[in-house]
Amino acid sequence: MRFDPDFALSVIPTILSGLGTTLWITVAASLGAAVLGFTLEILRRSNRWLGYVMRFVIDAIRSTPVLVQLYFIYFVLPVYGLTLPAAASGVLGLAVYYSGYLAEVFKGGIDSIDAGQFEAGKALGLRRRDVILSVILPQMLRNVAAPMGNYFVSALKATPYLAVIAVPEMLGLAMEVGANSFRYAEPMVSVGAIFLILALGINVLVRKLEQRLQVAHQR
Amino acid sequence: MEGFDILAGIFQGFRVTALVTLYGMLWAVPFALVTGVLQHFTRGTARFAVTCLIEFWRSSPVLILLFVLYYALPDFGIRLSSMTVGAMALGLNIGGYGSQAVRAALQSLDPGQVEAGRALGLHRLHILCLIELPQAVAAMMPTFVNQFIQLVKGTAIVSLITLTDMTFRAKQIAELQYNPVGVYTSLMLAYLIVCYPATLFGRYLERRVHIQNRGSREI
Repeated sequence: MRFDPDFALSVIPTILSGLGTTLWITVAASLGAAVLGFTLEILRRSNRWLGYVMRFVIDAIRSTPVLVQLYFIYFVLPVYGLTLPAAASGVLGLAVYYSGYLAEVFKGGIDSIDAGQFEAGKALGLRRRDVILSVILPQMLRNVAAPMGNYFVSALKATPYLAVIAVPEMLGLAMEVGANSFRYAEPMVSVGAIFLILALGINVLVRKLEQRLQVAHQR
Repeated sequence: MEGFDILAGIFQGFRVTALVTLYGMLWAVPFALVTGVLQHFTRGTARFAVTCLIEFWRSSPVLILLFVLYYALPDFGIRLSSMTVGAMALGLNIGGYGSQAVRAALQSLDPGQVEAGRALGLHRLHILCLIELPQAVAAMMPTFVNQFIQLVKGTAIVSLITLTDMTFRAKQIAELQYNPVGVYTSLMLAYLIVCYPATLFGRYLERRVHIQNRGSREI
């Protein structure tokens, strides 16, 4: 069969109706990954034995494919009575996967904070929790803004994986168009073009944000 | 099938996983080196063209690249095997990331290295191949290992275009009998066995590069 450009254009509105799903999943997964990643890194630093365990957990997350982690969450958790909707499984899967990478980013961010900051917090009699949340976290976030932004863009680009567990994001809708029309080439090219434009646009946005943060930092 | 049998069954797909990784590397390494070097040396329109090429492969989600190549190429009269399509999509995507590591490594070299080469009367190509690239490649080894792990994990998606890799085998076994816990835990374990040593090796290299850098700064 020949590629039909008119059909490719005509399916764009259908695919774009999943844009909202793609975006909220990206935001939810990014936030989840940041919270979980920070928790992993703080636990890793809390004591020696927990440190070894957490380091293995982080490396294990980084050593398995996100697709396999999604399957695991989607098929294994229900056996233990935890049945999540597909979208929630997807968000959880992406959040866990990127938490491994963000924990590593946060490690670097915390390392580059002056040791005097911890000591000053202690000297002022702050509790450990307050030192972590009020002294370390704000300074770390400024240090890691750029790499963290890159992983958020990565999370956006990982949302198509959710199509395999039947989440109606953009690739999922494109597959559905394909299944109904027996034409896969056109919807795939359309969804590819949409994702490329989206990713490039968000890349530019992240760069701008980075520059602004750096300027604010220099002041 | 129980425990070890499932794992053994999954490892029957190891050959395909390894082959896709190998062929993927054959796409990724040349693409990364050539485009990275070109992006470093070109200016103006030529540089823009190289950047567009890199960004196309780097910014598109890899799963979408795979589906576009798999479903749309036959429409344009190009018929490739699933193995070739999988290796190409994964390889060029990873190669796009790798090109940025090559460019960054070339840019971070001391300009004195090139000047010394010029002073010795070497041809520009000789300076690149004998002086710049060896140092750049050494500096980007940790990144290279991390990208390699990404590639190995990425091969899980070829199970979606009917190649019988480890993930595909796991899904076959899951269809034969109801045992999601055993199957998907074994699948996680299989990728962990393959990738965890590489993750540890990457960490070791990172530490070594950091120590080298620290040493050179103190002199």
